[in-house]
Amino acid sequence: MTTRRKIEISEFRILAAPLVAFLVLFLGFPAVVNLVYSVSEVSFETLRRPALSGFGNFAAVLGDAAFWRASWFSFRFGLLTAVIECGLGLFLAIFLSPLIEKRSWLLAILMMPLMVAPALVGLMYRLVLHEFVGPVPYYLWAYLGASISFLGAGSAFWTLVAIETLQWTPFALLLFYMAYQAIPAEVNEAATLDGAGGLQRLRHIELPLMRPTIVVALLIRFIDGFRVFDNVYVLTGSGPGGSTASLSIYIYEAFFKQGAIGKAVAASVILFAVSFAVLYGLNAIAARRKGKGR
Amino acid sequence: MRHSTMKIRALYAACMLSLFTGPALAEVTVLGWPGGPEEVALRAAADAYNAKADLADADKVELLFFNRDGFWDKLQADLAAGSTAFDINLLATYSIGRYAPFMEPIALSDEAKAVYGDSVLATMQYQGEQYGVPTDLSLHFMYYRKDLIDALLNDDAAKAKYAEIAEKHLGKKLEPKQPDAWDWDDYTATALYFTQAVNPDSPTRYGTVLQMKNLLFNIMVWQSLPRAYGADWRDDGGKITVNSDAYRKGLEVYKLLYDAGATPRDSLSYEFAEANAAYASGQVAAMLQWNAAAGDLTSTEKSPAVAEVTDTVAPPSGPAGRFTHIHGLGFGLNKNAENKDGAVRFLKWLSSKEAALIYARNNGAPALTPEVVAEVAGERPDLVKLGEFAGKYGYVMNGGTSAKALSVYELQAKEFTGYWSGQQSLDDALANTEKGMADLLKE
Amino acid sequence: MIAALRWAVFAIAALALNFPILVTLSTSFKSARELSANPGLWVWSPTLENYLAVFQVSERLNIFLYLFNSLAVSLIGTGLAVALALPAAYAIARGRLGERTLLPLIVNLRAVPLIIFAIPLYMMFQWLSLLDTRIGLGLILAIVNLPLALVILVNAVNDVPPELDEAALMDGASRTQILVRVLAPVCRPAIVTSLIFGFITAWNEFLFGLMLTTSKAVPITVGASFFFAASGGGVQWGVASAVMIVGALPPVLLGLVMYRQISGSMTAGAIKG
Repeated sequence: MTTRRKIEISEFRILAAPLVAFLVLFLGFPAVVNLVYSVSEVSFETLRRPALSGFGNFAAVLGDAAFWRASWFSFRFGLLTAVIECGLGLFLAIFLSPLIEKRSWLLAILMMPLMVAPALVGLMYRLVLHEFVGPVPYYLWAYLGASISFLGAGSAFWTLVAIETLQWTPFALLLFYMAYQAIPAEVNEAATLDGAGGLQRLRHIELPLMRPTIVVALLIRFIDGFRVFDNVYVLTGSGPGGSTASLSIYIYEAFFKQGAIGKAVAASVILFAVSFAVLYGLNAIAARRKGKGR
Repeated sequence: MRHSTMKIRALYAACMLSLFTGPALAEVTVLGWPGGPEEVALRAAADAYNAKADLADADKVELLFFNRDGFWDKLQADLAAGSTAFDINLLATYSIGRYAPFMEPIALSDEAKAVYGDSVLATMQYQGEQYGVPTDLSLHFMYYRKDLIDALLNDDAAKAKYAEIAEKHLGKKLEPKQPDAWDWDDYTATALYFTQAVNPDSPTRYGTVLQMKNLLFNIMVWQSLPRAYGADWRDDGGKITVNSDAYRKGLEVYKLLYDAGATPRDSLSYEFAEANAAYASGQVAAMLQWNAAAGDLTSTEKSPAVAEVTDTVAPPSGPAGRFTHIHGLGFGLNKNAENKDGAVRFLKWLSSKEAALIYARNNGAPALTPEVVAEVAGERPDLVKLGEFAGKYGYVMNGGTSAKALSVYELQAKEFTGYWSGQQSLDDALANTEKGMADLLKE
Repeated sequence: MIAALRWAVFAIAALALNFPILVTLSTSFKSARELSANPGLWVWSPTLENYLAVFQVSERLNIFLYLFNSLAVSLIGTGLAVALALPAAYAIARGRLGERTLLPLIVNLRAVPLIIFAIPLYMMFQWLSLLDTRIGLGLILAIVNLPLALVILVNAVNDVPPELDEAALMDGASRTQILVRVLAPVCRPAIVTSLIFGFITAWNEFLFGLMLTTSKAVPITVGASFFFAASGGGVQWGVASAVMIVGALPPVLLGLVMYRQISGSMTAGAIKG
């Protein structure tokens, strides 16, 4: 048994090797350079000769109120959009699956928002929400006699959440639809024979079977919402007083606009370390649960 | 049927062909500003240059353009990494200090001084050295609806209403005036008068449109206002002087107009395009905007609602005088250029009178001396105004061409929009800006 | 009754989700003059001038080249990512290899703004002569795509009953053979999903496309603004809309073909039964 296990491991190692090699090859050098930058005094003029300066960059980031504000924005934005997108996506995937099963082109219609680059979507919303040339305020004025300030200081956050949600709900929908289709027909048939109704089947059989996919979708959407950049950057920039700066925008601006390369990289290292710790922890919990289940 | 297949086939062939015919081999590569009139003008200049009989094939000019979004960031990365993809690149007054370390000073043609004048040449200088040819100049006009202003001036009831509004919001009775005679109080009073939230009888929904997005260019538009009250970034001793009454006044005027509803409520997300769209809709009475908007706003094709009733003057005046922010776009030499001799040759020609006139005749916006601009005054009357305003009212803040100028604008944009949106007090905004600028501008 | 309700929900969802696209489509048929006068969805006098502007090939502007570049880099970036991720997913899901560190490490790549790697990558690419090449950009897009592909595929392999490959193992098949002959077909929907998402992500990527290309390998997201930029930071909305519609078509068409692969009740019963 042990020798077989060993052989297996070496076989698996070979299977994972190309991926690891690829990453080492293409991200190894940049990662090392960035680690050096994070503890250096470096600007665009001194890219090739950074001066080591200890952990000043990290201290500067952690002491920067804008960093914490951006982290909070990203966290709130990621969580809200992930939950709304997955909730809507789950509902649509299950409720519409009888229609889509017969006509796959319906799926294509629902997937369309994904096909437009988020940067261009942001650009388009500059037109869509404009008080004088945008259709949304136009119809609001026409039918209600007033319009909302979509991108004012108070409402910009919610408008951005809505825009992100409208674009990425199809992503969750597709994942859930796939998981829903993968539920073996026999399982449901057996349950129906036992007298289970539609809702009961959903709650006790289908949703539990889809749980891994739901977790994955929530995780991916959270990460994507957390690191949101393109559409927000185009639409509101970092917002009045920096109020709509996500962590990605914070890092991008530190990097290019302020030329504070060390600080930008240090912020990324912190982000990487924290999210690694969180994922590692989640993984450990999941592994323990799995172990108990078996 | 047969015909359409042929057509499709021809189209297909054209597509395939176009995939494999890259740009022709060229020897001096110029990185230009994509889209818009700057590109048209540069293209015309390059064509004229390439057509010269005495030009060696090895010195012919090829143009290169990046995306407009992120242009300066990419240029920064390219230059810092020592790119050889272009020999000549674009640069701007406010970013000259950032790019100069990766560029080389150049010699202009002997005519340059007579063509552009010293103050315009200075927009392309850094630490006493000439880094570029100033091909395009940007400054601000006050765009206003002359039909509305004339109506106001000819109506006594309206004048009384105007005085009443001025007294209520500005604490003094004011008389309506022609825009060319405005100071910033007149501008403010007019903006309030033409706002329906303040004056329900106003023919327009808003008196003005302010660009208040957290964006460095918006600070450039705004800063002519505090400048008219004597604002500057720092004094000659290097002390930062933003925490001053002039800056306070400028910030308060925007806040007053925003809070009174004299500008659209989404103004905190407005930049160039949004402001133009608002003005072009006919629902705005006056606005301060870049000269680059003049083409669109006075074109009956593009802005049918306002083109024929729009006029432009220099921005309003204040106790310290009348000012417009100016900056130049121009072309300079990449330190890592592969064909330096050819590049230098083209730049020298580009700074000649011949090139400047070609550039001016093809949509460019060079600021030319009165003698030179007279030659194109018939075709480009707007250039006369441009040169005149630049000479009379143009200014650059003390420190506005330093290595960190761009970062100073970024900082101001963040802090000032924070105040306008009500997220921080005026005192905090000014204190934060002062502190940040002291760090950025220390020698 | 319930079917009618389903159709109603579908219609509402399709309209709400696609609203910006409908606006874009409508805008792309408006002339500059109409744009400033008519903000509504209905087009008064439709024109093709915006599309003609987009398809005009000139010495500098060549939308066909940008589309071709995007297609090439997206295919490289997606194919490579899935080809690398599938065997690794198998090793992670079945061999419990790198589950603790490798997986979170790679997933993490999605959380970090990869643009911080731009400068070192730029210098590396300069040295390897990969700047402004389709291969170079494709390789970076593969990195961008890896985290998602890996998560989806690990999830999918985990869903496959272990009995299936145990049985094949008993028959003497090697792990590689099992991967190719047993798992790949069973995980087809997941593979297709990762391909679709990867392609879309790669197609829509902007920052690396901007940083790492100058003229020969410019992708459509970067080339797009060449067409619609106006003076002083303005935007020609009509042309911008037309570019967006044209730029979104290839992934839409690809999707139409691919959805068939994951739609319908497929082979799910046969696999898990």
